[in-house]
Amino acid sequence: MSSKHFRFPVFGQVDYFGQPQHSAASYTPSEEKQRTTDPIVTGSSVIAIKYNGGVVMGCDTLCSYGSLARFNNIQRVKQFGPKTIVGYSGEHSDFQSITQLLDDLVIDDQCIDDKSQLSTEEIWNYLARVLYNRRNKVDPLWNNLVVMGFDKKTDKSFLGKVDLYGTCFKDDYIATGYGQHIALPLLRKAYSPDMTLEQAQKLITDCLRVLFYRDARSSKRVQLSYANANGMEISAPIELETYNWDIGEAAVKSFDQV
Amino acid sequence: MFLTRSEYDRDVNTFSSEGRLFQVEYALEAIKLGSTAIGIQCEEGVVLAVEKRLTSTLLEPSSIQKVVEIDYHLICAMSGLTADSRTIIDHARIETQNHRFNFDEPMGVESCVQSICDLALRFGENRKEGEEKMSRPFGVALLIAGVDERGPSLYHSDPSGTFTQYNAKAIGAGSEGAQITLQEKYSKTLTLIEAQQLALTTLKQVMEEAITTTNVEVAVITKKDKKFKIYNKEDLEGLIATL
Amino acid sequence: MMEPLRLTALPAKEVPMRQARFEPYVDNGGTVLAIAGSDYCVIAGDTRMSDGGYGIQTRQYTKIFQLTNKCVIATSGMQADTLALRKRLETVLSRYQKEHGKPMSTPAISQYLSNTLYQKRFFPYYTFNLVCGVDEDGVGCIWTYDAVGSHERVKMSSQGSGNQLVQPLLDNQVGKFNQRIVDGPRELSSEQAVSLAKDAITSAGERDIYTGDFADIVVINSTGVHWEKFNLKLD
Repeated sequence: MSSKHFRFPVFGQVDYFGQPQHSAASYTPSEEKQRTTDPIVTGSSVIAIKYNGGVVMGCDTLCSYGSLARFNNIQRVKQFGPKTIVGYSGEHSDFQSITQLLDDLVIDDQCIDDKSQLSTEEIWNYLARVLYNRRNKVDPLWNNLVVMGFDKKTDKSFLGKVDLYGTCFKDDYIATGYGQHIALPLLRKAYSPDMTLEQAQKLITDCLRVLFYRDARSSKRVQLSYANANGMEISAPIELETYNWDIGEAAVKSFDQV
Repeated sequence: MFLTRSEYDRDVNTFSSEGRLFQVEYALEAIKLGSTAIGIQCEEGVVLAVEKRLTSTLLEPSSIQKVVEIDYHLICAMSGLTADSRTIIDHARIETQNHRFNFDEPMGVESCVQSICDLALRFGENRKEGEEKMSRPFGVALLIAGVDERGPSLYHSDPSGTFTQYNAKAIGAGSEGAQITLQEKYSKTLTLIEAQQLALTTLKQVMEEAITTTNVEVAVITKKDKKFKIYNKEDLEGLIATL
Repeated sequence: MMEPLRLTALPAKEVPMRQARFEPYVDNGGTVLAIAGSDYCVIAGDTRMSDGGYGIQTRQYTKIFQLTNKCVIATSGMQADTLALRKRLETVLSRYQKEHGKPMSTPAISQYLSNTLYQKRFFPYYTFNLVCGVDEDGVGCIWTYDAVGSHERVKMSSQGSGNQLVQPLLDNQVGKFNQRIVDGPRELSSEQAVSLAKDAITSAGERDIYTGDFADIVVINSTGVHWEKFNLKLD
């Protein structure tokens, strides 16, 4: 049904009563190349830390449309191959495009069937090249990517980041988006490389909670991802234990009484 | 050996059942028709000496040039279809200049010879887009003399794209006789003067006419200067007088 | 046939033809410096990588990259461009080794880098480089560059966000070009140069927010390339 003669009416946008205009000169950028100059549907922070024996990554499940909390249940982490998980902040659709790229890469690699699999570092490096290439075309993929993994053979965990310029680095703890401003200082203070899994989990959830309190584009529905000797896991979404907002209601009530 | 030649000797890209590329072998034959060229390498440098065939007394000798510059530190003598060397020399000059542009240093002798030989087998139909058309192998062999940080060196390259380093080498019509002489007389301890004399006496033996200042060309490249010199009339007179 | 529905939320004339442009450059900051002597070259570079503003992305990004066992390249500016440049140099270096049967000399690298930078004259690598090492004679050498390939061989130089702080110090302590009274030699010993490099990078860290965390101190001489880590402020 959708064609150039018909568009589904959108509430508030259709003028049912105006004069018919045949030369409807609505701006359609047909000739121009489409590129992300502004991210539209965006995810906020991703934070990840290495602990003694693996890596934990945490992020919420919200994708905003500007200031609108548009999609409340979107998984912002994805596993590629048997030993790599990538989390993103930034443009959701650009990440979907990256997803296709990486899935193809991993499948092609698996089809070679040589018992060798792309390491996490290789995937991270590949992503850095892809994003750098796109920034060279001034047509960026608007994402900050956090790449983590665990290699059972070498018993080594990997944690790295790539941004939309192609900047890439490895570190013991990484935060993107608002997390760069809010979570990173907390991580610097609380981090130690010989943390246990439980300590790491707690640190990540604490950071996500603080982010929920201060970052208006975040939600308390979060997912934790793990990479360690037991393999890779992306947990089901969980609700963060947060402050009891009933107290706020009491305050409002008391305000009414004044 | 019966029919194989006539069946397989046309196509530059087809091996005979004996595993030969006749067109390349014929190209090698073409060199044996060329004028003799001799190169000798010694501790101090390299000498190139070439016979010029002056087929007519009306011919202007200076219009025949068989020793040419590739770069300051690289020269080359040729034998065979000398017109083919134009393509090769052009290529080599561009390569050496590119090397100077890119790396601000003279190109190594072996690298230059390698790049010449890369060109030698680009004949036939399977050339890449934009590459010049080359329907047959080159009919020319080269003696390339040069000096680089490894010292002076002499290389021989032929139409098959093979290159070999020599202490002393003769190519062209008189090459067989000349090579035997070189084999006998060559010693690693030759001085540059002795090398020049050996080159000219060997050339003299295989030339039909007597050596004059007009029917030979001599060039040297010294380790000290890292720069070539093609001998002029006076230099040649002096050299011939010492023989 | 159905009347086409007209969208009126944004009248045709007022549709913003906004061309928001993505700014493809970011300055990740950092300071590198180098001092050359008659038989050595000392290079120092901090390891802080900023996000283009007040934030620190990582404290562990080394700005010095070994090219041969006689040459390193120290780069500040945009990290993504730096990586691309390094990869290019690396491939050329290995090709050169295979084609010419020897490692590329430091002067050859310096010329090649200049060409490489100039080739991207109209979309430059946002990188500020020092090519440092010893030449074929074992003499310490430094080439200092701008982003588009202008270069000069010098005795000492610095690049990056702390350049304005470091260069005068090096001029005063090593070059002594315009001093009425020159006390002490213009040529430092390798140890003195290392000590000066440490002082210089520490001083840059005092005032430049983009310089800090740690410093790599590299000494190149006839025995090879020697690395050392040095602590700066973690502020």
